[in-house]
Amino acid sequence: MPLSEDELFLLSFYRSSEINGSLFFGRLARALKPGPIQHDLTKHFADEAQHAWYWTECIDQLGSRPIKLADAYQDRYLEAVGLPMNVMEVLAITLVFERRVINQYAKHLAVPHLQPEIGATINRIMEDERWHVQWVRDALVDLEPRFGKDHIDATLKRYRQADQDVYAQALVEYEGRLGFLSPSPTDTDRTDDR
Amino acid sequence: MTTVTTDDIRRKVADILDVPEAKVSPDAVLTDLVTDSFRLVELAIELQEHYDVLFGQEDMKDLHTVHDLAALVSARVVE
Repeated sequence: MPLSEDELFLLSFYRSSEINGSLFFGRLARALKPGPIQHDLTKHFADEAQHAWYWTECIDQLGSRPIKLADAYQDRYLEAVGLPMNVMEVLAITLVFERRVINQYAKHLAVPHLQPEIGATINRIMEDERWHVQWVRDALVDLEPRFGKDHIDATLKRYRQADQDVYAQALVEYEGRLGFLSPSPTDTDRTDDR
Repeated sequence: MTTVTTDDIRRKVADILDVPEAKVSPDAVLTDLVTDSFRLVELAIELQEHYDVLFGQEDMKDLHTVHDLAALVSARVVE
């Protein structure tokens, strides 16, 4: 069954966001000194690039071509919260974003009669996303002596609020296109900071 | 005590952003030197790594020029 226009848009949006994430993490991986964060960030960068390829391949298997999109979800984050300027801020925004990604993919998995290619692609990506959340959360704990736990928690709280605003805004903006996604219990607002 | 001069920062910024040093004058506006905002993040993090200092979003509010950046790094190195 060919992709609907809305499905193609969403898959292309995923692809575009994965590409942007990869490019961002690639640059940071280049900028950081050798160490555990550089190590894991480099793997994260490679994963995001791979995910962009998975979506490209998935769209291709479903008989379409990705739509070229200038805007990515991350751009909205940066508009809302400003540019992160140190490693902790980058990791904090990454943690919030990765949780949003997992929620979004879980929501997509719950779509009735989901095409198997899409389900397989999301499941493949989700394995990496869980690790992304884990390593970033651990890295933030490791950064507590340097940045202070309270400061990290406050940063996470600020980014989480921005995430909720950006997501709500995106839902309104793309209401027509995202209508095929059913509500998911995983999309509730989180109250914990880590 | 390590001191960081504006010229040190000019050279480092030129190196990180891969732009001619002549373009990185003290009055050069940082956002004019980068092709996109991610490059600013990369610049900030690489400078922090190089000079072993920290700054965050709060510090960026009053940061516009290369001279401002040099002053910030210099102050943090002294701290």
